[in-house]
Amino acid sequence: MNDVKTSTPVARRDILKTIGLTATVGAGAAILSKPASAAVTTAKPQFGMLIDLRRCIGCHACSVSCKAEFDVPLGATRSWVEYIEKGDYPNVSRSFLPRLCNHCSEPSCVDVCPTDATWKRKADGVVVVDPDICIGCKYCLQACPYDARFINPVTGAADKCDFCLHRTIKGLEPSCVNACMGGARIFGDINDPSSEISKRIAHEPVSVLRQEQGTEPNVYYIAADHSDENIAKSRGRYVRVDTHRRQQERR
Amino acid sequence: MAEEILWGLPVIGYLFLAGVGAGALTVSASVLLRGGGGGFAGQHFEIARYGAFLAPLPLVVGCLLLILELGSFEAGHWFKWINLYKTINLSPMSIGTWLLTGFIGISILYAYTFLPKTPGLGKNKDQLRRLLAWVSVPLGISTAVYTGVLLGAMPARPFWNSPVLAMLFLVSALSTGVAVILLFRAIFPPRKAEEPHKPMVAEYFQKRDQSAYLLTASDLMLVGFEMLVIFLFIMYAHLSVGAVKGSISVILFGGEMSVLFWFGVVIVGLLAPALIELYYVIPKLLNHQPFDAPLIIEIVVPIAVLIGGFMLRYVVVMAGQITGPIGI
Ligand code: SF4
Ligand code: SF4
Repeated sequence: MNDVKTSTPVARRDILKTIGLTATVGAGAAILSKPASAAVTTAKPQFGMLIDLRRCIGCHACSVSCKAEFDVPLGATRSWVEYIEKGDYPNVSRSFLPRLCNHCSEPSCVDVCPTDATWKRKADGVVVVDPDICIGCKYCLQACPYDARFINPVTGAADKCDFCLHRTIKGLEPSCVNACMGGARIFGDINDPSSEISKRIAHEPVSVLRQEQGTEPNVYYIAADHSDENIAKSRGRYVRVDTHRRQQERR
Repeated sequence: MAEEILWGLPVIGYLFLAGVGAGALTVSASVLLRGGGGGFAGQHFEIARYGAFLAPLPLVVGCLLLILELGSFEAGHWFKWINLYKTINLSPMSIGTWLLTGFIGISILYAYTFLPKTPGLGKNKDQLRRLLAWVSVPLGISTAVYTGVLLGAMPARPFWNSPVLAMLFLVSALSTGVAVILLFRAIFPPRKAEEPHKPMVAEYFQKRDQSAYLLTASDLMLVGFEMLVIFLFIMYAHLSVGAVKGSISVILFGGEMSVLFWFGVVIVGLLAPALIELYYVIPKLLNHQPFDAPLIIEIVVPIAVLIGGFMLRYVVVMAGQITGPIGI
């Protein structure tokens, strides 16, 4: 729990260090031999999340804290937890799949926005929406393969998880990470090799959702159940997904 | 399915109307350019004029519908769509915005050149009209194609994400464009006063039939072509795997939208008009008998084609939204 809590500030200090280092060493490397420069990471910071489902108990604390943090309107969800039920008695299981925007490295939502109201921040790779520019055309809602977006009825603009930008710029971790009682969520810079999250991603068998969509998601899972209702149905197997959102089916 | 329908009737209506307007403009301009000063110049001019007058309004109404569907409009920010004009990027919607704006401007100017009295244009009217027609052909085609690209640009929407869709929308736009010209020509026939140099009534009617034949035959050709494109659209999706194959199954037999698709789009919009048109076109085509379709047919067939065009947009827009990626 403790290491999870401090992971963000550490990660952030590390980013600064890395950037500083890159600048100095980069300059030196130009003079030095080539292998020296290859050892220095030049990757831009990319905030990401790793959700360890072995520690998730499906309590919805993340969803609730997110609702409270952003006063998310009724019926809309930035962060939600799906329940996956499968099998025939007595061989059954129920597992949980917390969901949020993946802050993709190739975000298809950004590609389609006609007003440049949504973009991927260079500083931390977070995909954000400016509600003052967004006209609510819903193109990005259509384009996101994860159904992560919704139209906020109050602002009339597209809305979604922003990794609690107002918290992370102050060095705090996102509200859902803070609220997770199982310590299942790890947040940090996945491009910083010394961060807790990138070490865990390197050490553990991780997966992302719908990799075939090619958006290169930055939310990773450990022990995710990728069972899908529709595929199971066509195979004659029983899988039931409870999305706990207004959209009762995964899209 | 309890899916969220993000784009409903306003967007469907817009896609349909944009197709009709773009089709009418393309047909009008290409007929005008092809007609030149040759034998059929009179008929060509008449068709071109109907098309020119019919093109701008559907686009304007369609764009207003689009604004109605915006989240910002629903939240009371009525003019926030202006933000579309503050940037241009590679989003199909951004390109489409500028395209539509150009379309509306050019098509209104083009229609203006067809008015009997055009203050401010003077002697250069014919020249300007031809120039605008040259611009209008690519403009109309791009607008029709763009309506398909708009939907097709997203891998997350497997039903739409097909290169054939834009082609389908283009052909449907052209056939509904021809249909709307046929329909208005039948309901509001050209007045004889506008044809002072054609005193003979018989000759006038012959001429009228000639242009009806031209339109009906081209509509028939387009409807036939549309069937082919629909066949390719379905076949390639069905021969695919996973999400694409799954998404096309909603319009195939047993699918949720199969009745709407096969009845509304294929039978009402394509097969029935094609058979009726064939019945009236064949004698003239093969035996050079006069083309005499009764007025009621000239009204009913285009209406069926227009209904089919609307149903096509309806089925495509809805089917795209009740299907999605599979697996997680
Ligand atoms: S999950 Fe969806 S909304 Fe989030 S960055 Fe990826 S494509 Fe965009
Ligand atoms: S809804 Fe807003 S953010 Fe999304 S594509 Fe439209 S203008 Fe861009």
